[in-house]
Amino acid sequence: MDRRDALAKMFSAKGVRVNTNRGEAYYEKLRETMEKRLNELRQTPAATKMDIHKALDAEGLSRRDFMKWASAITAMLMLPASFTPLVAEAAELMNRVPVIWIELQDCAGNSEAILRSDSPTIDELILETIDLEFNETLMAAAGHQAEAHLDEAMETFKGKYICVVEGSVPIGAGKEWCTIGAKAETFEEHLLRVAGNSAAVVAVGTCATFGGVPAASPNPTGAVGVQDIVKGKPIINIPACPANPANITGTIIHFVLTGQIPELDHLNRPKFAFGYRIHDNCERRAHFDAGEFVEEWGDEGAQNNWCLYKMGCKGPMTFNNCSIVRYNSGTNWPIGAGHGCIGCSEPQFWDKYAYERPMADANIKAPTGGVEKSVDEFGLGLLTAAGVGIAIHAAVSVAAGKKDEE
Amino acid sequence: MAEVRLELIEKIEGEAQVRYHYEKDHIDFAEILFLTGRGIERILEGRDPWDALAINPRVCGICGHAHLIATVRALEDCYDDLQVSAKAKQIRELTLAFEVLQNHFKWFYLTILPLLELKAPMERVLEPSRLLGEMIALLAGQYPHNSYAIPGGISGEITPVELLGVRERHQRIRKHFQESVIHVDLEQFVRCDRIETMLEREGDLPRAMQRILDWGWERLGRSHDRFIVFGSNDLFEAGKSIGTRLRRHLDLRYLQESPIQGSRARRVLYRGRSYETGPLARAMLLKTPLTREAHRRYGDSLFSRILARVCEIPRLLRYTESLIGSIDLSEPAWVDPGPLPVEAEGVGIVEAARGSLIHQVRVGEGKIQKYRIVTPTQWNLGNGSREDPGVAQAALIGLRRGDPAELVFKSFDVCSVCTTK
Repeated sequence: MDRRDALAKMFSAKGVRVNTNRGEAYYEKLRETMEKRLNELRQTPAATKMDIHKALDAEGLSRRDFMKWASAITAMLMLPASFTPLVAEAAELMNRVPVIWIELQDCAGNSEAILRSDSPTIDELILETIDLEFNETLMAAAGHQAEAHLDEAMETFKGKYICVVEGSVPIGAGKEWCTIGAKAETFEEHLLRVAGNSAAVVAVGTCATFGGVPAASPNPTGAVGVQDIVKGKPIINIPACPANPANITGTIIHFVLTGQIPELDHLNRPKFAFGYRIHDNCERRAHFDAGEFVEEWGDEGAQNNWCLYKMGCKGPMTFNNCSIVRYNSGTNWPIGAGHGCIGCSEPQFWDKYAYERPMADANIKAPTGGVEKSVDEFGLGLLTAAGVGIAIHAAVSVAAGKKDEE
Repeated sequence: MAEVRLELIEKIEGEAQVRYHYEKDHIDFAEILFLTGRGIERILEGRDPWDALAINPRVCGICGHAHLIATVRALEDCYDDLQVSAKAKQIRELTLAFEVLQNHFKWFYLTILPLLELKAPMERVLEPSRLLGEMIALLAGQYPHNSYAIPGGISGEITPVELLGVRERHQRIRKHFQESVIHVDLEQFVRCDRIETMLEREGDLPRAMQRILDWGWERLGRSHDRFIVFGSNDLFEAGKSIGTRLRRHLDLRYLQESPIQGSRARRVLYRGRSYETGPLARAMLLKTPLTREAHRRYGDSLFSRILARVCEIPRLLRYTESLIGSIDLSEPAWVDPGPLPVEAEGVGIVEAARGSLIHQVRVGEGKIQKYRIVTPTQWNLGNGSREDPGVAQAALIGLRRGDPAELVFKSFDVCSVCTTK
């Protein structure tokens, strides 16, 4: 492949192909499934104390705020706008779905991002109203009492609960070093036990999905992701370091709505969140297309918010919706602070992408294909690629809601 | 007959275990063990030094920003006399202080109040921690885990719009703190030096401190009465304090670390002795009026420790307010430090929420040869022997059955993910 082709392929790969319009018949059937599911849930008793409307009231949020949120989630899940009332109802019924949240080899950053520091946006309120049967950081009970509660919850909701996992699983030499509870279960045993009786497993954050920073070379503890350990269960991966709360809520809402897990890509990531690259919807994309790059920190480009690709931004290689959803209640995201994406939701980002220096020195192969090239080798083609870039950019911008061309 | 009781300490940042050894009706010895670990320091060895900027914030999801700033300072220290702009320095100080503030609010409301069986509306903690997360995000991109600080400065151009967003949120936090926590004007509170004056008010802090007094716990949790602070800036002063006797000079060569049998954490000593670090230590070094008064009455007890941490909030609020007001946006965000020396050593020190955080890096042949991280929890919860107990151990030993051992333990605020790395 010559340089132009490699470049064109790298920036025009379709990724996982998100089908956003499947035709009326499909959505009619989906609506029926969802209505049936929600009806069933409505019959079951609320397992938790919290109810979303109480939570909203306490925060001074109105029904209108709630519906606004519901329509945003509907769009994020790539459902037609007419599904908004169903999504809202699913949120109201969240307290019927038991969730057991366990922390393994982690930094607590996901719990932090999701359950505390951002609150109280509606996303996080929703997460607080789920029937959180067990979470070490949040629950009132601690120690032995908490352990007993876990056993009880696993028994009561056998086969029905969602098991959310944060953190990687050490299976290397010295795995006996990471133990939990009074019986000194290894993390692997603990995970297998809790995941074993669940309906589905949601791996949250890059550690739980792909091993994360603990798995960085030389991987001293032999850390792996949940999918390497748990077999024979549906597994949903929500990578990123930390994972975006919106994507976790979206996944759980989907489960509430359908009783099923959302459509996943080849890495078990929900397509609604990981169907596009950071680059596809980046606020600085126009500067990439125009060939305007930050060449060093603090230069004219940096002052004018130009493209960070040459500073090592991994946006073109990273599948995630940060550029749309952003972080901290939508306040900002790394590129907004003038720092390139480090690819924190990609497998092996800790070894492949954790470079601060430009990719010119890093020799990186894009996951979408193409040959291993450095940015300077690509450099010649960059200006000419602008044309290609604009076409792709335009295509992606209108993709949501439009007919799938495939 | 001695009895050993195992307590699992969850609801902290990670998991720890405490083994209480009871002799009749009192705790005769306590072992504090951390049973998880990731080996981050080993992961750093052999890597390009710049990789540390992406890896290290991820040591901890609770105080990861402190780790980022410590990393940047350690790398900058590898250069000869690298000067970053005042603006970059001020903005780093701001985001760092916001993280500390966020931790203080969360610890007080989510850890301490429930242990005192006091209730407060959830938004009193959710609101400030959300706002502080947003303030960091405005300047640094996201919270937790961002990489906006780089050797030479910061990556982005901060505009007046971001500063306005920060300022507006800052005012809301200040108002919230005055109304809910201390129930008095902030300036007046900072000058206050009488416990009784503070207790006369209705805020959550007076409520908590009154409860400790009512239950007769104010003298519990006393330890070695030795304090150490490594970081200094316009707010904090470095040094050590044995009781109230100050020594300003510290030398990192006297820092010793030793492995702990059966635990993933290492113990750290200064000239062979254990020291308490954190807000109480910082207040002892600064001799802030209210904390000094508490210490005079009750020593280094849980009362003084809790009071000192909450009393740091108004100081941090005033400090950040003056920082916001003094930033000159026309200064450069970044100065080119040139390539990192191929052979170098650097130290980065940060005053994090729980105390002094120290990063030490040795670069050889352009790679990280050795990276050492000493965290606040290692100082405070390092496990020693019966003859030479660590800080929290000494605070626990001697407690009777029915005494609030968990409160004593958590008055130090454990960050176990940091500690085991």
